[in-house]
Amino acid sequence: MGKDKKKKSTEPKAKLPEHLELRRDYVTCGDKLNYNVHTFTSANVFSAMGVDNSWDLAQFKKDFKIIINKLDKEVLEFDMIGVDPAIANALRRILIAEVPTMAIEHVFMINNTSIIQDEVLAHRLGMVPLLADPQLFEAKVAEEAPSEKNTLVFKLDVTCKRGENRMFSGQLEWLPGGSELPEETTCRFAAGQAHLFADPATPKPRAVHDDILLAKLRPGQTIQLEAHATKGRGKEHAKWSPVATAWYRLQPVVHVIQDVAVDSDVGQELMSACPGLFVADEGGRVLRANDARGHEMLRRLLEQERFSSCVSYRKKKDHFIFTIESSGAVPPLELLGQALELLGEKARDLTGKL
Amino acid sequence: MNQPDRYVQFVLPEGERKVNYKADTKLKDAGTFSFRSEDHTMGNLLRMQLHSDKAMVFAGYRIPHPLEPVMVVKVQTNGTKSPEEAMVHALQDLASEFGYMLNEFDREVMNAQQNPMHNL
Repeated sequence: MGKDKKKKSTEPKAKLPEHLELRRDYVTCGDKLNYNVHTFTSANVFSAMGVDNSWDLAQFKKDFKIIINKLDKEVLEFDMIGVDPAIANALRRILIAEVPTMAIEHVFMINNTSIIQDEVLAHRLGMVPLLADPQLFEAKVAEEAPSEKNTLVFKLDVTCKRGENRMFSGQLEWLPGGSELPEETTCRFAAGQAHLFADPATPKPRAVHDDILLAKLRPGQTIQLEAHATKGRGKEHAKWSPVATAWYRLQPVVHVIQDVAVDSDVGQELMSACPGLFVADEGGRVLRANDARGHEMLRRLLEQERFSSCVSYRKKKDHFIFTIESSGAVPPLELLGQALELLGEKARDLTGKL
Repeated sequence: MNQPDRYVQFVLPEGERKVNYKADTKLKDAGTFSFRSEDHTMGNLLRMQLHSDKAMVFAGYRIPHPLEPVMVVKVQTNGTKSPEEAMVHALQDLASEFGYMLNEFDREVMNAQQNPMHNL
């Protein structure tokens, strides 16, 4: 299909009748369940009406849009339009499970006299998000010895002398020269890693948040350990997931299906409940305006019959509002870029392997 | 104790082929592709892209058992293409789609950097 010659059609493409277009393009939200949820992907589904539903790269390029709405250090919200739910879901799954990060994998306990058990402490250390660019490192195969190319070494040495001490993630110290116990850990660095982070703009490896409580100590208790961090993916363990979470929802669309007078009870209640959404048009009727995005409270009103008979709440099936909350290791914009690249790589990889 | 190692889900063991194709013995122009170490991410995408091909009669995917990293795609065409051809075309279309999405994303990032106002 990708190699077919494109024929220039002289007559306009047949369009579906309006009620079928509604079913194809919008999810209708009822108060107890949603209707018309499925997407019509099959190319022949409307052939009885003479409408061709097959996929066309040129049409896709025309319809596809990405619009970035909000961007800051940790959260990215963007709109993706003209895309099938399978693609949006694949992107979400890749963001959660397949973009690599660094996380602590092996913990060598030198001394732990606290009441937190070794394995519990090791688990907590693994879950701490680390501020280190995973692209500087290679993934470590199980049989390989740890080296500067695939391991980041951290040290933690805390003793409580008086009162109660708390051990925080900010006390993790990065060792650029490698392990301090090369015989036990079999980790030998040929050269240090300091040159990788020499540029003052790149932050030195540390925990993203300094105030994650790892353990509490009382006088006389001490914890000394060395932690090795490797590169991994969320699929193997959730500690390597780069996002706090990533999710999407469909764009809501409000449509007035029955004329409502501005000065009627229904009209007044609608306009006061959702300011900015309903606007009077010329002639004194109520019209929907702009984006229905901030006005989800409308669904509460639509549980009542008098509102649901004149206003319909729908969702556009190919317009996704994506939110990515990064855990801090990688900025969210870069995460999206890596995820889109991984998506392309998967498809190209399989093409080659056929 | 009985849980298989997680890395098996995405690391292909030595000597295993990623994709296997078996033509259907009872139907014409039908066959089954068996993918190792793949899951719903690619399965749903392939199914969607195969559906949009005019020559397709049947396209579906399933994961026979959640503990084994195998994904099976069943394809039946109407004869104008062979199932292998249809799969190759679907994958090429997906690759070009994703390439275009990445370009659009890069363009939008540059746009957003030049107009910092529109981000807030």
